[in-house]
Amino acid sequence: MSRRLAQIICAIFGVVMFLLFFSPHPAARTIALTITTEYWQVIYAFALIVGAVSFLRVNVKNIQRGQDSGYRIISLIGLVAMPTVAIIWGIGANTPFMWIFENIQVPLQSTVFALLAFFVASASFRGFRARSLPAAILLISAVVILLSRSWVEGQFASGLIATADWIRSYPSMAARRAILIGIGLGSLTTSLRVIVGIERTWLGGGR
Amino acid sequence: MDISTLIAGLLTIAILTFLYRDNPIYKFAEYLLVGVSIGYALVIAWTSTMMDLLFEPLAGGKFSLIVPLTLGLMIFARMVPRFSPLSRIPLAVLIGSGAGAAIPAMLGPRILTQMSDTVGNVVGTGAGPSFSGIVVLIGLLATLSYFYFSRPHQGALGLSAKIGTYFLMVFFGATFGYTVMSRMSVFIGRAEFLLSDLLGFMK
Amino acid sequence: MKLEARHWTFVGLLIVVVGAMLLGVRPDVTISDETQRMFEYIDSLPEGSVLIYSFDHESSSLPEIRPAALALVRHSFSKGHRIIGVALLAEGTGIGYRLMEMAASESGRQYGRDWVYLGFKPQYIAAILSMGESIEKTFPQDYFGTPYDSLSMLSGVVNYQQVAGVVSIGDGNMAVHWIEYGQSRFGIRISSAMTAAMVTTYDPYISSGQLHALIGGLRGAAEYETLLKIGGGGQRGMLAQASAHIYILLLILAGNVIYFVSRRRRD
Repeated sequence: MSRRLAQIICAIFGVVMFLLFFSPHPAARTIALTITTEYWQVIYAFALIVGAVSFLRVNVKNIQRGQDSGYRIISLIGLVAMPTVAIIWGIGANTPFMWIFENIQVPLQSTVFALLAFFVASASFRGFRARSLPAAILLISAVVILLSRSWVEGQFASGLIATADWIRSYPSMAARRAILIGIGLGSLTTSLRVIVGIERTWLGGGR
Repeated sequence: MDISTLIAGLLTIAILTFLYRDNPIYKFAEYLLVGVSIGYALVIAWTSTMMDLLFEPLAGGKFSLIVPLTLGLMIFARMVPRFSPLSRIPLAVLIGSGAGAAIPAMLGPRILTQMSDTVGNVVGTGAGPSFSGIVVLIGLLATLSYFYFSRPHQGALGLSAKIGTYFLMVFFGATFGYTVMSRMSVFIGRAEFLLSDLLGFMK
Repeated sequence: MKLEARHWTFVGLLIVVVGAMLLGVRPDVTISDETQRMFEYIDSLPEGSVLIYSFDHESSSLPEIRPAALALVRHSFSKGHRIIGVALLAEGTGIGYRLMEMAASESGRQYGRDWVYLGFKPQYIAAILSMGESIEKTFPQDYFGTPYDSLSMLSGVVNYQQVAGVVSIGDGNMAVHWIEYGQSRFGIRISSAMTAAMVTTYDPYISSGQLHALIGGLRGAAEYETLLKIGGGGQRGMLAQASAHIYILLLILAGNVIYFVSRRRRD
């Protein structure tokens, strides 16, 4: 029963959103606004909260089982600390909430990302080899692009930027455009299949 | 140096220790990051959406919001196996509206406009087709043929798909070049923080 | 402590970047056409134009994206543009506010009159679409809970029709959503400052004119700072950036030399 009802609701919202795209009528615009702000965003925000609650449950379970308990407690402290300080002091500019964000979350997350610089260096040495014609093309393209943004472009090789820009604007762009169109066609057909009820994997198992 | 910089610096170094190998200091920082970032997202979602778009207007008498509130609460049914089918209803609203909005977005700006720009640069210019325009047209068709798997890549299709791989390699090469730039930039940003704010070596 | 081959490539990168930064040299950069176009676009907007700066990135890319974002916001403030700050990714919320607050205080811009910060809304497609209908209904309050209609700058700003353009500060596909839902549905002009890794993804949109202008990564920031004739994080990092590129090129070269020599020996 719930599967059928969900499919019908999905189809109605799909068709309505599709039709609303083409209508400039004020009533249509009001409906579009209601769907996007009152339904789409509110439900999505609830989904975010469900995600956080699930995270909490999984971690508590693992702590009880003694799996990485110490580390998981640290995670939970972080998770609980943010709402706690937000409730007590708010989320304004000079609050503990922003302090934690700026001095703990931002440095940690950006440094995790910075690690990739080192792995890129290692991969360049170990894996970036002209073993075949396609690999050689890839390598040449990468080298020209990198050289064109390495200061030497203005000092020694005047045509380097023009060559790099041409590669980016034409052959590279053509391939990217094909990927983009391919994804577009895939998304288009998937959306249609979802609305007409052929694609039902999102419903999951059960009745 | 203030305490904030010291903590941010120590946490930065804790993450960098992973370069040697996985270790407890890195793991501490990693788990802390996961907890704090979920807590942050939770607070922001609560204040900017639940309060703004739901509870405050509801308290102000906008009772039509009881419907999205009920739908939102139904997502929690996912956590109780007996009631979990109920969570399909709000999911249906999200997926249905997403699919409905995606069709014109994919068809127009992604497929038709991109096709139009490709063809327009070959036949739509007053000066006749340019060399670069023809390269784009050939590259686009050849790459698309590479992704066509309904027939074996033999004969003309095989040749076209092979040319497509060369275009793809040019794209991947260019993207690799820019990705190197990107990753280096992030590291440079962190290095600047360590050298300047934490250690005071730079002004 | 046992070091493997990869550790030596790490040590090499560390030496190159730290060494270049300590030298403190700021090399001249060649201005690319795309940065020039972005600069001219922002520069050409008349005083009082309303611009939306959307902070669509996470803190992971902050070191790379911040200099470009700061240069753009500074430029806008110097031209007297009125700025609406929003965030379509949760982490962009705090980052965007701090950045705008800093640029505003530098140039003496007043909150509520010259700039406002509306904060975050989840589900970016829904947010982009609903702002096209009504910005007030999407953000009934600003980041601090002040009602939309109490902010004098927003008086008369209903939807994208009163906005000159959107600048998405992003590290992923968010500008694609701005193009496919904002530009195509409502005709709003989209530009973007993005991480360098994303630049090639947007080339088809630049070619078709759907994305009006873009600047990419730290290099783009350095070019923009040069055009603005101000210093900044982009220029400070340029020697290290160029040195790191050369280092990577040398690693690629060394890897290939080793590969071909060992293959010849094997044959």
